[in-house]
Formats: sequence, structure tokens, C-alpha cells
Amino acid sequence: MSRLAATDHKQTAAKIAVASIFFFLLSGLLALTMRAELAQPGLQFVSDHTYDELFTMHGSGMIYLFLTPAALGLGLYLVPLQVGASQIAAPRLALFGFWLYLCGGLTMYSGFLTNNGAGDDTWTATIPLSNSTGTPGMGMDLWVIGVALAVFGSLLIAITILLTILRHRAPGMTMLRLPVFSWTMLATTFMVVGSFPVLVVAMGLLLAERHLGGVFTGSTGSIVYQHLFWFYGHPVVYVMFFPFVGAVGEAVATFSRKRFFGYRALVVSLLFFTALSMAVWGHHMFITGAVKNQYYSLTSSLLAVPAGIEYLDLIGTMIGGAIVLRAPMLFALGFIAQFLIGVLTGIIVASPPLDDHVTGTYFIVAHFHYTLFAGSLFGLLAGVHYWFPKATGAMLRERLAKASFWVLVLGANLTFFPMFFLGYDGMPRRVADYEPRLGDLNLLSSIGAGVIAIGVLMVLANLVVSLRRREPAGDDPWGAQTLEWWTSSPPPEHNFERPLPQITSHAPLLDLREHEEEVRERRVEVPA
Amino acid sequence: MASTRNDFASVWSLYLWIGIAVAVLVLAAVLFAVVRYRARPGRAPSRRAEANLLEVGVAIVILAIVALLVFRTFHTEAKEDDSSAAGAVRIRVDAFQWGWKFTYPGQGVTVIGNSDREPNFAVPAGRTVSFALTSSDVIHAMWIPGQKFKKDAIPGRVNHFDMEFGGRGREQGLCSEFCGLRHSNMRFGVWVLSDASYERWLAAHR
Repeated sequence: MSRLAATDHKQTAAKIAVASIFFFLLSGLLALTMRAELAQPGLQFVSDHTYDELFTMHGSGMIYLFLTPAALGLGLYLVPLQVGASQIAAPRLALFGFWLYLCGGLTMYSGFLTNNGAGDDTWTATIPLSNSTGTPGMGMDLWVIGVALAVFGSLLIAITILLTILRHRAPGMTMLRLPVFSWTMLATTFMVVGSFPVLVVAMGLLLAERHLGGVFTGSTGSIVYQHLFWFYGHPVVYVMFFPFVGAVGEAVATFSRKRFFGYRALVVSLLFFTALSMAVWGHHMFITGAVKNQYYSLTSSLLAVPAGIEYLDLIGTMIGGAIVLRAPMLFALGFIAQFLIGVLTGIIVASPPLDDHVTGTYFIVAHFHYTLFAGSLFGLLAGVHYWFPKATGAMLRERLAKASFWVLVLGANLTFFPMFFLGYDGMPRRVADYEPRLGDLNLLSSIGAGVIAIGVLMVLANLVVSLRRREPAGDDPWGAQTLEWWTSSPPPEHNFERPLPQITSHAPLLDLREHEEEVRERRVEVPA
Repeated sequence: MASTRNDFASVWSLYLWIGIAVAVLVLAAVLFAVVRYRARPGRAPSRRAEANLLEVGVAIVILAIVALLVFRTFHTEAKEDDSSAAGAVRIRVDAFQWGWKFTYPGQGVTVIGNSDREPNFAVPAGRTVSFALTSSDVIHAMWIPGQKFKKDAIPGRVNHFDMEFGGRGREQGLCSEFCGLRHSNMRFGVWVLSDASYERWLAAHR
């Protein structure tokens, strides 16, 4: 019991990690079932109704219960360490946030135990389909309540991270000395605080609509709901992206043996990105005929600028470095290459005349899986492989990690690349059946999903093996640059047992090494 | 919006080729960095960590590309919004769970079908067809992949758009907004006919 009630941020983050892996595997299993059904045209394994539950719970699970909490959990673990704090701000709030999230997830999934099954209205639950006439039944109510709880829990966790960055930085840690990952978390929590409350309210209203009626009615009701939903729904995309860019940035700097390139440009681009993230939601509504398409097209296209700066900074960090291709670096490179495809197809769908054709199709499914799976998940895995030794004190098996990387690269591209063609050629998303002429590409994609499953199992096996038969990591196995590597692995309860080094930049440990090097070169006595 | 198909093709290829060029450039840079700057004995990493002129330069180049793309997009979007063609064939479309009703106002022609029997309606080739699209229950979307176009059918709202169908034959259409149980099977067909055949088709369906 003492573990369940522990308020240490590392313990809470560990709970989030376990819960989010659980929901990832569950939601991934649903995806595998879908790909099995879609391997051939016609209905083979599941009914239309079951299929609707599958894609709804897959998308909802991955977004509300896996990538968002995992991103915030990473921040909850690392931010206090990176800013030199002994604890998160408001640790009990963070723990409460975790329990809300877990209860929300279990509530959402418990819909499968009801007569009509789980929520089956897609992860967006558009009105009027999601009202009591369109989707009667307890399962949908559980979905609505589950989403509200999980999102509210995520909001609380984000608030504690935001407060930690603003109020608990070590002496000398000015805002422009925050590590790259902590900056991405700061931008992330801004977006969470600005947008998540809107979804909690929207879910409350949706529940009222389902039981009392009269909320989202008339010719505007469905449009109002979409505005509320997407005001959350777009920023959340970057909540599931920024922290992983941060993780990738840290890994790239460490394994290039070089300071992160263009730190201040990155900070500016993150803030620009954050501001824009709350001004682009209408691009999800281009074909409703109810928004000013030109405005949202312009703001969405402008996202290319900060995205480009981030790419420049990542590549600039590698140029001139001494690159070591350890597993975290491989996953980081995978993120950089594959997320790029997500970015570039994102520019395509920011153009309404092009979006008119591909929205609501497998082209979109391919686009956002390149951002969320081939991008964010690879970024998350870069972070997991990078910080696992810190959090557990044990190294991961390097060869197994590298093998799992290549299997996942193969699986991701085999699964998602054909979907661009499927969508362009006329396959809408959210269908259990399709025209026979689309069978070959679908089969290819289904085979890819199997390859992904193997890759995921390899990653899990690596985690288990490395924890069971431990190879001690030491405080800083990578020669890293930020404060979390200054303490022991795993860190003690209050994070640091020895005094922090002087914080002179966003890479204090690198400063220290460079200083020592200079001292050696000049053969100067080190002052005691 | 007389010729969406031609406009779509040129806008699409502009975006696609710029995207491919950027992808090749970025991947080449990554590959170059990984090959050229691999750790070797004796290689000391550079300490350069900033190049603000380069950052600004890259931002300006991207901004210029974005400006080009957005300009092109706005140009096409303006044509789509301009749906005032006189003498167009008018068709009212009512989407419902899970089928379609196509009505030709003033012609006394209505075609209706559902997921068990998909409806087929006809249009004359080469003439502007003006659609008025709505739904009687939940949100659907009317998608004709061959036309590279879709629009939401929203209860209580009417969305107007024009299309011009080129080659004769049948085009497949389908619902592309999830609308419940039989969404996968909510399809329709469009017969693109010569003027004379179109008139005969109308007469036969009165």
C-alpha cells in the first residue's frame, strides 16, 4: 500500500508508465484485430458493430490513455531532475491525476462489459451521432465519462509539471538554461492548460446532451461540438509530439557529443508552435462548410516554419559532432526520418482543395500514424532507451534494442505507407469492408501490423530481460549533458545527494567536461 | 468550380513535388551527418552551437515556400467557393442512415437507395452540376473519389457545391464520414451521360 500512496514524482511516473504500457498493449491488440479483418475484403472475423468498437477504442485508447499520459509521465519523471528540484510541485495533485487517468481508462474500457458494447462513435464522438438517439447504451456513457476523467487527470499532472518549471528551478537555472526536454515540456503544459479544460467541459455537455437533451441542438449544435472538440483535438496532437522532440533532442545532442544546436531558436520556435497550435483547429472542419477555410489553411501551413527550425536544429546538432549510433540514437534518427513524412503530408492536408479529396480516408490515417506511431512512438522509444538506465540503474540489451528498432521501422512503413495509396484511391477510414480492388495493399498493411507486433514484443522482452538480469548502468552511462545524470541511477528519494554543479547553460554537465578539458589542455591547476 | 479535377491535379503535384524535394534534402542531410560525422578516434566534436543567420535564413525560405503554396491554395479555393453557374443542372442530395436520396428539382425525378441497394443518379457530361447537400439524421460526407472532392452532409444545414463531370461512364461515390452501423456500405453511383442519354434517363425516371 505504501507504494500506491507514495507521492514521489518518480513513483507516480512509474505508475503512469505501467498503466500507459497496459493501455498501449490493449489498444494495440484492437488494432491487430482490425488489421486481421481488413487483410481481405468482406467480413471475416468481426461484425460491423464490433469493428466500430475496435477503431473507436483503439484511437481513444492510444490518444487519451497512452500517448498523452506517457508524454506527461516522461515529463513528471524528468523535469524535477532536469531543473534540479528535489520533488515535483504539488506531488499529491500529480498522484491524484494518475488515479483519475487510470480510473478514466478502466471506465472507458469497461464499456466492453455492457450489453451494447464499448463506445463506438470514433475518438471524436461527433454530434448528433453520439447523442442518445444516435448511440443509445451505457457503453457510450462510460466512454464519455472515461474520456473526461482521463483528460482531467492528464491536466492535473501537466499543471504540476508547469509549476515545477516555473517555481522549483535550482539556483542558476534561468529559463534560458532549461534543458531542451524541459522546454518542450513547458510548451506542452501550456497547451494542456489552455486546451484540455475545453474537452472536459465538452464531455460534460455531451453527457448532459445524452441524458437531458437540448445542449447541442439545431443546425449549429453539431458544429459547436466540433469546435469544442477540435479546440482540444489539435493542441493534443502536439502534446503527443513536443515531449518526444525533446527526448530526441537530448539523445541527438548526447550521442553527437555536442551541445544542442540553435537552442534559442528552438525555444522561439516552440513558443511560436504553441501559439499556432491553438489557432489551427478548424482545419479538421474544412469540409463542413462551416469555417473560414482560408484562415485555418494559412495558420496550419505556417506550422511548417517552426517545424523546419526544429529539423534544422536537430540536424545542426549532428553536423560537426562525433556521432555514436547507440540504440537511443537509432530511435531518434527513426523519429527524424519518419516524422518528416508526417509533417510533409500534413502540409498537403492543410490545403483545403487537397484535403477535400483525402480527408476522412486512409490517406489521413497514414498521415497521422506517420506522426503518432512512426514519429512520436519512435521518439518515446528513443526516450525510453535513453533514460531507462537512469530510472532503473540497469542497461538495456543493446543488440536486442537495435534489432527491435529495425523490425519496428520495417513494420511501421509496411503498415502505414500503403495507406497513403489506399486513401487516395478511394478507401474511406472507419470501414470494416472495402472494394476488392484494394485487397493487395490492405494485405500488405496487415502483414506490416504483424511485423510491428513482433517489434513491440522484442522491446518488451528487452525491458523484462534487462530488469531481471541487470547490467549496472552507473550514474551517467552515455556521457550526457543534463542534471538528471548528475545523480545516482535510480535517483534517491529527494533526487540529489550531492550539491549540484554550477548551472551555466542548458547543458551543465557538458559545461563541466568542457571546462575540465580546457584546464587539462592549458595544464592549469584545478582550483580546489 | 468548373474544373476541380484539373485544378486538383496541378495543386496536388505542386505540393507533392515540393514535399518530395524537401524530404530528399532533409534525409540526405541526415545521412550525410551520420556518415561524415561518425565518432572516430581523434575526432573532437565542434563546439559551435548557434548560427542565428542560418536559422533566420531557413525560416525565410520556408516562409517563402509556404507563401507560394498558400497563394496557390487560395486561388483554387476561391474558384470552389464561386458556385454561381447559371444554367447548371441542379441536384438536391439528402443523406440518411444509411443511404442517399437524389432529387432533381422541377424535373419530378427522385432516385433513392440504401446500403442494401445502392442508388445511381445521372448527370450530363461537360455541364456544371450544382449540388445542394444535407442530411436528415447524423453527419455524413458525400465523396466521389474520381472527382477528388467531398463535402459534409450536416442535418439542418445545406452545403452547396458545383462539379463538372468529364468522361462518360460510371463513377463510384461513398460516404466518408463515420455515421454508424452500415457506414461501410453507404455507397452510390454516378452515371455520366451524353446530353441525349441524360434526357432519356430523366424521362425514364419521371
